[in-house]
Amino acid sequence: MQELGNRWTGKWINPLLRKELRQRMRSGRTILALSLYLFVIGAVAFVYMYVNVQGQTLILQPARTAELFTFLSYLQLALVSFVTPGIASGVISGERERQTLSVLLTTPLSPITIIFTKFISSISFLLLLIIMTLPLYSIVFLFGGVLPSQVLAVFGLQVVTLGAIAGISIFFSTLLRRTGWSTVFSYATVAILFMGFAIFGYLFDSVGLHSADESVWMHLAGICYALDPIYMQAGIETNLGLLSPSFNQSIVSSVFDVVNSHSLSGKESWLFFLAVYILIGVILLLISAWRLRPGSLTMVRKRVIRWMAH
Amino acid sequence: MIRVENLSKRYGKMTAVHSLNFDVRKGTVFGFVGENGAGKTTTLSILSTLMLPTSGRAYINGMEVTTEPGLVRRQIGFLPDEFGVYDDLSVREYLAFYGTAYGVEPALIDKRAAELLHLVNLEDRSEVLVNSLSRGMKQRLGLARSLMHDPPVLILDEPASGLDPRSRIEMREIIKGLREQGKTVLISSHILPELADMCDEIGIIQRGTLVACASVEVVNARVSGKRHFLLEVMSEGHRLAELLSRKSKVTEILKVDENKVEFIFAGSEADQVELIHELAMGGFQLKTFQELGGSLEELFLRLTAEEDAKAELIPKMA
Ligand SMILES: Nc1ncnc2c1ncn2[C@@H]1O[C@H](COP(=O)(O)OP(=O)(O)OP(=O)(O)O)[C@@H](O)[C@H]1O
Ligand SMILES: [Mg+2]
Repeated sequence: MQELGNRWTGKWINPLLRKELRQRMRSGRTILALSLYLFVIGAVAFVYMYVNVQGQTLILQPARTAELFTFLSYLQLALVSFVTPGIASGVISGERERQTLSVLLTTPLSPITIIFTKFISSISFLLLLIIMTLPLYSIVFLFGGVLPSQVLAVFGLQVVTLGAIAGISIFFSTLLRRTGWSTVFSYATVAILFMGFAIFGYLFDSVGLHSADESVWMHLAGICYALDPIYMQAGIETNLGLLSPSFNQSIVSSVFDVVNSHSLSGKESWLFFLAVYILIGVILLLISAWRLRPGSLTMVRKRVIRWMAH
Repeated sequence: MIRVENLSKRYGKMTAVHSLNFDVRKGTVFGFVGENGAGKTTTLSILSTLMLPTSGRAYINGMEVTTEPGLVRRQIGFLPDEFGVYDDLSVREYLAFYGTAYGVEPALIDKRAAELLHLVNLEDRSEVLVNSLSRGMKQRLGLARSLMHDPPVLILDEPASGLDPRSRIEMREIIKGLREQGKTVLISSHILPELADMCDEIGIIQRGTLVACASVEVVNARVSGKRHFLLEVMSEGHRLAELLSRKSKVTEILKVDENKVEFIFAGSEADQVELIHELAMGGFQLKTFQELGGSLEELFLRLTAEEDAKAELIPKMA
């Protein structure tokens, strides 16, 4: 039976992935992190409901549930974006530092296999994390106001975001010798994605207000906002009717304004976001695989020298 | 089985390996000797497809290492000079991982892992975590790992470094055993005597150039019994040198000045006692009679530098 299982998994799971998953799941940290995460999300949900339900009947308060869902989904987005670089920014530089890379590279596993396996194994933990919170959200469904398909749409965005962040982190991990630097650059990039784009969007908007051709600036601002997972998630949640002006908190309503003025809830923005993030992730992973091949640096150096000589 | 043709590698302006040529026949052990920084690791990395040469070619079992690296990787078992192991894996899982990575039949993996652990004397550690092994054990485990896919060629970069004397002897025995199984082994070391015992052929590399290449019998014949001595006297160094040069057991006078003479002596210990006695009787005031460590490589190199020896020793480099 076990042999049959091995043969089956052997087809789908390459040896490196099996080893990585085994190592990851074996270390106590993984289990600890998962439990801690579930506990935090669970506690937040219960406290929120407890506070809101007090003195009232426990029945349907769709607006409140939508609010809770939005809050939890942002908590999850933040957590996932924060944890991904920590896991992925050491996958190749760590092998270099531990001096296991050269042996790995002399096996028949190709650089592409190695890089994509590292990618899968680093996001697997986060995917597991996201999937494990699904039952928790079912409590939210119980109260009504949120549909399972809505949850899936938001989670889809988060999966694409974390995939791109993992791709970026693995890229730095392959390019830079030290995990320390790779981690720094990965977090810096995440900061640009989350805050940099928002700031640029805001700047373009402000310039647009005082400019003759406002629409060009508005368009640029729209592109920036559409590449920011924070606003994009707000876009989806607006589209799903989760986010509405009825949230009369200033941050939420200002985000809502941006979403509306740049039509981030539309399909185009959503597809634009998906295309760019998936493309960035895939391209960076391919470059990483190429970089693992012997002589890649020499080749770049030669090209640069030839180009400079021109 | 392994053929290297005009192999060169430059790091920027530094030439680490310069136009290397050698051949390793199937089923033989080739010892690659050179001091630190001579270019051993660079050469072996190129042969293991980890690095591209600046120029030249290298073939493993007829396959070129730069154009067919994928095929070459299946032919070789590679043990780097320094390597680490993964955390959170047991010794058995560690071997199984590399076995599956090479596409070894799942049914065969456990069996082979057990055999190899027996070979390297770690069978009682199969369930221990790899990162808890000592350095020497890791080195032996590394050798077992490089054999998991039963490759015809082994490339071992200083496999004995970090081992205690007993483990060095064991490692040597294992490698002899591998030769008996018909494996072709390329092994590097910075110590010639360590290799002389298990190799069929020895190549000496110095600053990236192969300066000598000979079968181990020739090396042994050249070097055996020859020792490097220093004699210090109060005076009359030149007369002493002249007397020594007439002795049949003194094969070469290396350095002479008023107070000291260095020479190569091919006699036994009894001959040595007799020589001292003779010198004392001859009226020399001996201050020291000392055997200089002088590396075997140095001695060997000097011996191969003799004109007649060169023709005999390096025919295949032409
Ligand atoms: N990645 C590198 N970049 C620049 N120079 C290098 C690099 N690797 C090796 N060298 C240089 O190339 C020369 C040969 O190094 P190599 O590691 O091949 O020597 P070695 O014979 O293996 O020495 P050791 O006995 O110390 O292991 C040395 O002078 C070294 O400084
Ligand atoms: Mg070396």
